[in-house]
Amino acid sequence: MNLWPNLHYAVAMVLFCIGLYTVIMRRNIIKKIIGLNIMETSVFLFLISIGYLEGGAAPVHGHGVDPSRMVNPLPQSLILTAIVVAVSVTALALSLVILLYRQFGTLDVSRLFREEEEAG
Amino acid sequence: MKRLVSLFFIGALALLLLYVVSRMPPMGDPGNPTATRVVPRYLERAEEETHARNVVTGIIINYRGFDTLGEVTVIYCALAAVLAVLGREKRGRIRDYVELSGFPSSVIVRTMVALVVPFILLFSLYTILHGEISPGGGFQGGAVIGASMIIFTTIYGLHLSSVKVSQGLRSPLEGSAVITFFLVGVLGLFGGGNFLTYAWPKVSQALHPALVTWLTVLVEVGIGLGGAMVLVSILFAMVREEGADEPLA
Amino acid sequence: MSGVFRHFPVLMITLPIAGAALMPFVSYLRREAVPWVSALFLAVSGVLGLLLVGRIPPDGCVGYQLGGWEPPFGIELKVDFAGYFLMMVVCGISLLALLYSRPYIAREVRGGRITAYYVLFLLLSASMMGFVVTGDIFNLFVFMEILALSSYALVAVTGNRNAVRAAFKYLLMGAPSSIMVLLGIGFLYSVTGTLNMADLAARVVETGYREVLIASFAVLVLAFMVKAAIFPLHLWLPDAHSIAPSPMSAMLSGLVVAVSAFAIARIAFSVFTVHASGLTGTTMDALAAAGAAAVLFGGIMAIYQRDFKMMIAYSTISHMGYVVLGFTALNPEGLTGAVYHVLDHGIAKACLFLCAGNFIYRKGYRRINQLRGAWREMPWTCFAFALAAWSVIGLPPSAGFISKWYLVYGNVKAGRVPYAVILLIGAILAAVYCFRIIYYMFFQSGEEGAWRDQVMDVPVGMLAPTWILSLATLFFGVFSYFFLDSLLKATAGLLS
Repeated sequence: MNLWPNLHYAVAMVLFCIGLYTVIMRRNIIKKIIGLNIMETSVFLFLISIGYLEGGAAPVHGHGVDPSRMVNPLPQSLILTAIVVAVSVTALALSLVILLYRQFGTLDVSRLFREEEEAG
Repeated sequence: MKRLVSLFFIGALALLLLYVVSRMPPMGDPGNPTATRVVPRYLERAEEETHARNVVTGIIINYRGFDTLGEVTVIYCALAAVLAVLGREKRGRIRDYVELSGFPSSVIVRTMVALVVPFILLFSLYTILHGEISPGGGFQGGAVIGASMIIFTTIYGLHLSSVKVSQGLRSPLEGSAVITFFLVGVLGLFGGGNFLTYAWPKVSQALHPALVTWLTVLVEVGIGLGGAMVLVSILFAMVREEGADEPLA
Repeated sequence: MSGVFRHFPVLMITLPIAGAALMPFVSYLRREAVPWVSALFLAVSGVLGLLLVGRIPPDGCVGYQLGGWEPPFGIELKVDFAGYFLMMVVCGISLLALLYSRPYIAREVRGGRITAYYVLFLLLSASMMGFVVTGDIFNLFVFMEILALSSYALVAVTGNRNAVRAAFKYLLMGAPSSIMVLLGIGFLYSVTGTLNMADLAARVVETGYREVLIASFAVLVLAFMVKAAIFPLHLWLPDAHSIAPSPMSAMLSGLVVAVSAFAIARIAFSVFTVHASGLTGTTMDALAAAGAAAVLFGGIMAIYQRDFKMMIAYSTISHMGYVVLGFTALNPEGLTGAVYHVLDHGIAKACLFLCAGNFIYRKGYRRINQLRGAWREMPWTCFAFALAAWSVIGLPPSAGFISKWYLVYGNVKAGRVPYAVILLIGAILAAVYCFRIIYYMFFQSGEEGAWRDQVMDVPVGMLAPTWILSLATLFFGVFSYFFLDSLLKATAGLLS
């Protein structure tokens, strides 16, 4: 399993798993949201790295760069959209956290969902 | 115990993903499927077809403009979602809901923030308008405007920044990104193409590059403005104090 | 398709989005007009869709290039018959749920959030319509995110403690699944170099890198299993669907999860071309097993519930299992059964939730025990419920019977008799939990003072959508042959 040529991808996958672990295992809901952001960022890193070209230049004309030596612009545009989406999800998640804290007084998941069992 | 089981599963998942990654085409290789399939056309002909020197802008505004329409819809949806959850204060009545003073801070910080914010706004305007010819673009500039408002609100307090960027200014402009995109899209229908074709009814061939450029700039400004207003509104909704919903209408 | 008509699908999707962006202006001018203007936008979409009847060929599709760029360089919409059918289903049920919302939400949601509710509702409907007809996989992701964001917020819109908690749980499972979709798209893009579904179908067969493709498909299926609440990834659904406001429960159970299940079918057939590529076998078998487990799990758990909406929510888990068993059969009959089941389950489940909403609105009753003797005061709602429950169980001549027939036939034809038997067991379980409610409503008497002696059902604004949906279950059962012929041809085309 030779990972050396695809090191960026491997790091992205490790980050993804760290993020997933944080989302599942941490009890503080803010940490869960941070874990979600780690997952999102790792996938962005993964997608952008796919577009890399060895020795490539930015995909902007007008600076005398040959088009065949530019990096791939398509993942960059996809990730622009995906970043906006991630920001939106985080904004909504944090608003829900604000409300949860006001109503329950705690940020601890085990206490939040234990009350749910008791309430029936 | 549960921790060990999850660690085991996540570890197994990590090994699986690493295995898949090792079987992917090598990074940076010019013979990759990604570099040979669709992209050469974008790189070679973007300037003549979309009249944008930044190929990424050409892709997001022109070739894959429908995705960008979806993106501005997502950000508008986020605003509607945050307002559905947190509520919005009654117009002009922010004074009833927040403390009038800002975050306690030293004279140095307050002065510097007041000096720096105008330059940040200038920079964001530059980013929005230069989206076509250098890295930048609509949403990037809008996010910078949002960031400048975050600094200002943190130091000077919600009351002052809410007066500066009042609800009367924000409300009409929040949907501006979506509306601009939709109108440009429908304009394409009248111009004889499909939805989101950059065209104008009955315009001569010679004017076409200028037309596409102007429409691109218009769309970028719309995205930037809309994105900025959305981010500022989300900021204000989150910073507002508890119990500060509007009274039942 | 020529002339003006080819623009209609795009307009059907983008008009409600534009409407959502204009809603703050409407709200500023005249707040009471907001529900009516929203309904107007959806109604216009519906009319545009009806004008397309007969123009979509059953065994082909109509492509539309956005921006005039040819695929795979631009995004295209591929409106095939199954996609068009589902677009109309989404539009119709959304419109009825929107009309129902007008009196219901005015009572449940405070002040200015009502405008936000209608904005999110329009965005939800528009995104589902775009989701089923897009021909580009990243566009699918974008529409999926609009769908997800609006549904998280709409669950929490009442501000009730439990609602906010349920919405957060939904987000905590839904957001990682969205990221997994992006990861799957990343794997897929890295070895094919394209994002257009038709081009992907060609490239997937030609290119090597089999492990990456299998991993991509597995990740995508897992992510959509969370979104469609297929057992065992269903944990968010019971709370979210039972605690959301009733018209929103109707949309979630009836449309959102079903459309996500359809997305698995779309990816399996249009991108990975099941027969040609030979990459999807193991994953599809695992998915079918999960679907079978869902049928049994949902049915059994529904019988144990004491809260009315919770019971209906578990029934949704069971029915998503039916849809999965349908399209994993890999033959036209199974896929037709699955698509038609999305229709009839959508209508019947929406009707059930609206009936539950009626009880909550009129009396505040949420528990099944409180429904004893309900027919004395609310006979209209009870009869609508009974008719929709007939379809949920799958008895003739309702629409549920038609879809079940094709589901069972498809599985038998594919040689998967155990799954066919499980489908029938599911119907028996549905009969248990539905007949119990009907028995309570009609043949038992309530406690003292629980029900008035005179008939006082909900206002017409709420009763009409409930009854339209209820009668629709009968309509689509009796007149199904109009659609089935085209559907069978369309699904055969999808599978080849």
